[in-house]
Amino acid sequence: MSRILVSMALSMMFFASVAVAGSDPIEVRQHLMEETRDAAKVIGAMLKETQPFNAEEAMAALKVWKKTATEAGDLFPAGSETGFDTEAKATIWSDRAGFDAKMENFNTQVDAAIAANPDNLEALNAAAGPVFKACKACHEDYRVEKED
Amino acid sequence: MKRLAFTLGLMALVVGLMLMVTRPSGLPAEALPSHIVDTTNGAYLFHAGGCASCHATPETVSEPPVLGGGLAMETPFGTFLVPNISPDPNHGIGLWTTLDFVNAMHLGVSPGGSHYYPAFPYASYTRMSLEDLMDLKAYLDTLPEARSNNQKHALKFPWNVRAGIGLWKLLNLNSAAVASVPPDNLVLTRGRYLVEGPGHCGECHTPRNWTGGLNNNRWLAGAPNPDGEGKVPNITPDEKGLAAWSQNDIEYYLESGFTPDFDTVGGSMVEVQENMAQLTSEDRAAIAAYLKTIPPLH
Repeated sequence: MSRILVSMALSMMFFASVAVAGSDPIEVRQHLMEETRDAAKVIGAMLKETQPFNAEEAMAALKVWKKTATEAGDLFPAGSETGFDTEAKATIWSDRAGFDAKMENFNTQVDAAIAANPDNLEALNAAAGPVFKACKACHEDYRVEKED
Repeated sequence: MKRLAFTLGLMALVVGLMLMVTRPSGLPAEALPSHIVDTTNGAYLFHAGGCASCHATPETVSEPPVLGGGLAMETPFGTFLVPNISPDPNHGIGLWTTLDFVNAMHLGVSPGGSHYYPAFPYASYTRMSLEDLMDLKAYLDTLPEARSNNQKHALKFPWNVRAGIGLWKLLNLNSAAVASVPPDNLVLTRGRYLVEGPGHCGECHTPRNWTGGLNNNRWLAGAPNPDGEGKVPNITPDEKGLAAWSQNDIEYYLESGFTPDFDTVGGSMVEVQENMAQLTSEDRAAIAAYLKTIPPLH
């Protein structure tokens, strides 16, 4: 049951992202980041063993990450520095090469994770670990710490 | 007029006496136990304490770390400039004896017999065991020498009066544990040791009183961010803190840097978390167990 729900949630996330396309790039990228995080929750729950390992769901989540890796870099055009409570740091625009390198690293790690096609928990841990590190590394340099 | 002179004289006498009583003094050499040092444990504690986060020469990431100091810490009391603690004999602490090191870590007293400012969190390190300090010193001795000179702190009055730190210690330096845990529970006592001692978590997560000492009635209940903007979160098991985090969530966060909501760790906590990731999973579990046990504060 929960598997079906997760698969449904993942496909809904996919279609929802199509639906918002065309609005402000800040809103689009914020939505993309939410999807990315929701996919991370699916994989994270397996790694934390609060949900059983499921290869299909894990792969679906990895593909959400691939979508992020493909689209996110273009969603920070000049002129999208402020607005919508963006947490994007000004360094994205002042150090574009550094930001692009972090995004490229994320893409590389996601590709490797998909290629590994993890079929057990240990393999998923090995595949997702470097992706999580890539998320963290980019947030560290290019995201504003918001106050909760 | 006479009365004023008398009052001033009396005040000077009281302050003089207080400063005399609180003047820096170290431990005798026989205070150190006989112990065969273990540099592996020293390196482990180095991570647990995150020593490199403050003492590494800024903009250098290296393994082994170069502890040349120089980082400027902006605080409400003024700017502290972190010293060189590399084993260089002239610029660092290469000539220190193990006893000198213990006196610095436990009592905030320098080999020359003056007080250190508590920006160096000896009020936490004072809870570390002598054996652990001996191991840590032995590990520091193995690190590369750095030739950078120490720079003077730029502090506001009255904080620039070093002798006053003696009074501060009288109020705020206490090696007793903060939280009570069952003494026979080895997981909780270990977690408490790591959090309250080497990890010095309270230095940022606990608010300070007007003297700059920790307000232990608000132990780990969150505080203004010493770096400036925002707040350091409440990590007690209150709904405003970590109540919604399971033991497993805390362990996973310390290991991976991801919150239960799968947001990533941020700010100064990034380096702390990366150090926590170097600890054993048993120690991360002990820290989590301790954090789930302390009194919840709103």
